[in-house]
Amino acid sequence: MNMQTSGRTAIKLLGLIGIMLFVSCEKEYYVYGINDVEITPVNSFKDKPKTHSQYISILYANMFQKAIGPNQMLQALKAIESIGDKQVAYDILVSKYMNDPDVKLPSNESMRSDPEEFVRDTYKRFLVRQPTEAELQWMINYIESRPSLTTELVYFSFATSNEHAHY
Amino acid sequence: MKRRNFIKTSSLASAGTISMPYILPSGLINMTTTAPMSEYVVFVLFAGGVRQQEAVLQRYLAEGQNENVEGNIMYNMLTGAPPDDKIAYGLDDTANNIIGGIPIDPILQTPLDQIGTLFPEVRFSKGGAGHFTGLSTGVSGNYSTTQGLKSRPSAPTIFEYLRRHAGFKATDCWFVGVGITGSRPLLNFSANEDYGRRYGGNFIAPTTTFGSPGMQHFMNFKNYHPDTEWTKILEMRDFLNQNFRNEGLEISHLYNDVEEEDSIKEFVKATFEKVNSGSLTLPPVNDNGDLKTIGYAVELLNWFKPKLTVVDMSNIDVCHGNYTAYLKNLHRGDHGIGFLWREIQRIPEMAGKTTLIVMPEHGRDLEPNPIMDDNDWFAYDHSGGNENTRRIFSLMAGPGIQAGLRVGGVNNPIGDASDIVPTIADLFGVKDTVINKGLLDPTARSLFDRI
Repeated sequence: MNMQTSGRTAIKLLGLIGIMLFVSCEKEYYVYGINDVEITPVNSFKDKPKTHSQYISILYANMFQKAIGPNQMLQALKAIESIGDKQVAYDILVSKYMNDPDVKLPSNESMRSDPEEFVRDTYKRFLVRQPTEAELQWMINYIESRPSLTTELVYFSFATSNEHAHY
Repeated sequence: MKRRNFIKTSSLASAGTISMPYILPSGLINMTTTAPMSEYVVFVLFAGGVRQQEAVLQRYLAEGQNENVEGNIMYNMLTGAPPDDKIAYGLDDTANNIIGGIPIDPILQTPLDQIGTLFPEVRFSKGGAGHFTGLSTGVSGNYSTTQGLKSRPSAPTIFEYLRRHAGFKATDCWFVGVGITGSRPLLNFSANEDYGRRYGGNFIAPTTTFGSPGMQHFMNFKNYHPDTEWTKILEMRDFLNQNFRNEGLEISHLYNDVEEEDSIKEFVKATFEKVNSGSLTLPPVNDNGDLKTIGYAVELLNWFKPKLTVVDMSNIDVCHGNYTAYLKNLHRGDHGIGFLWREIQRIPEMAGKTTLIVMPEHGRDLEPNPIMDDNDWFAYDHSGGNENTRRIFSLMAGPGIQAGLRVGGVNNPIGDASDIVPTIADLFGVKDTVINKGLLDPTARSLFDRI
C-alpha cells in the first residue's frame, strides 16, 4: 500500500519536473530598439526674446557685477526705445558701458594665460551655458591667433550677440 | 487755366510713362513702375490734433472763443493776414508783461500754399480721432479701425512699400518721432506677414536719443577702430550668431547693412557733439519739443539725405487743457514747417528735388470742454464721433506740383487722410504696385488723382 502511494507521488513529481523543464526551456526573444531623439543645438531652448528691460538689467549685471538702479533702468529703456534698429541701439549701449571706468573686465593677461578657462567663463557669464567642443576650439583658436584681441572685444561680441538677447 | 494746363501736363507725363518701364535702383524692371516725380519726400504729421477753425479757416478767436478776432497765425504755410488784436500766440512780451504778445517773424517770403497745392478740406473719414490711429493712417494709408494701441499697424507702411517695391535702403526711410510715447516706435513697420521688419524704415525719437536718457546711456560711446577692432567684433559675433540666425531668432534689427549701421552710429556721435557745442541747426524759435524735433530732423536730412522722411509733431495737443498754449504751439508748428522747407532748400542734394507734404493726423472738437486757461479761453478735446475732428487739410509743395492751387473747399471736401501713402508712392513711381496690393483703405487715392 505504501509502496503504491509513494510510486504515484514519484510519478506526479516527475511529471511536474517535466512540465517545468519543458516550460523553462522555451526560447525567449528580445527586441532591442532606440527611441527617437531630436538632436538640437545646445542653445535651442532659448527661444524667447528678452524684453528690453530684461536685456538691459542682465547686460548691466554682466558688465558691472551689480544691479542697475531703477532710474538708470528707466533711462536706459527710453534710450533703447528711441532707436528703431535694436542691434544699433544695443551696440551703442554696450560701447557706452565699455567706456565706463567701472566696467568689470577680466585682464588680457588672464585670457592669454588660460584661454580655455576664459572662454568657458565668458560663455557661462553671458550665455549661461558651457561652450560645445567646437565652440570652445574655435574661440581658443581665435584668441591665440590674434595677439591684439582684447577681453573687451570678446565681451562686446557676446553682449551684442543674438543668443544673449534670448532666453 | 493754370489748373487745366497742369492736368494736361500731368496727363502727358502719365501717358509717356505708361509705355516706359522705369529701372528701379535695385536694377529690377517693374512694368507697373513709372519714373519718379520727386527724388525726396518729407511728410510732416502736423501736429497733435488741429482745429480747422484756427488753421485753414483762419478764424483765430472768432469761432473758438466767441471773440470777434480773426486772422492767420500760420503764415509760413497759409496766405492770410495775421490777427490784429489779442495776440497771445507769439513770444512773451516781457517788457509789457504780455504772454505770447510778440508774433514770431515769418521764415518764408512766400507761404507754402502759394509755392504748392492746398487741399483745404480733407476728411479723416473713419475710426475715432486718436493720435495713434491718425499717425498709423498717415503712414499706412489704412485706418485699421479694429486695431488696438501698442501694436504695429496691421497694413504695411509706406516705408515697407518703398523698400520692397522701389528698392530703397533702410537709411533711405526714416520716421522721426516727437517722442517714444503713444506707440510711435511701432510706426516704422507693420505686422503684415508679407512685409514687416524685413522692409521697415529706421526710427529715431531724437529728443529722447539726445535728451537725458541718451546722455546717460549713449553719449560718449566708444568708437572701435573699423579695421583693428570692429572687424574682430563682427567675426566673433557672426560665429556666435550662427545658430540663432539659422533659427530666425535675431535681435530686432532693420536690415541696415554694415555701412548703414556705421553711418547711424556716426550720426548719433556727431549729433551729440553738436548738442554739446550748441551748434545744432535749430529753428530760430525752439522753445518746445516739436521745434527741437524739427531741428534734429534737419540734422538727419543733412546726414542721410533720406528718400523718405516722416516727422511727427504733437505739442498742439496741449489744447486739451490750455487753449492759449495751443495757439502758441500751432504758431510754432507753422514756424517749424517754414524752417524745415528753408533748410531743405539749403541741402544741395535735396534743394529743388524734395516734395514736402503736411497733414494733421486728425482734427479737434467743435465744442469746447469746461477747462479755461489764464485768458479765460476754453480748451478743446478730440472726441470720437465729433464731426469736426474729421476735418483736416493737406498741403504739398515741391517739383512739378502746381503752385497756388487750392483743391476743394468747405462745401466741397476733397481728399482723405489715407491719401498720403498712395501720393508718396505716386511721387516715387510705384503707385500702381502699391494700390494693386489691395492693402490701402478703399477710399485712398493719390492726391494727384484728385486734382
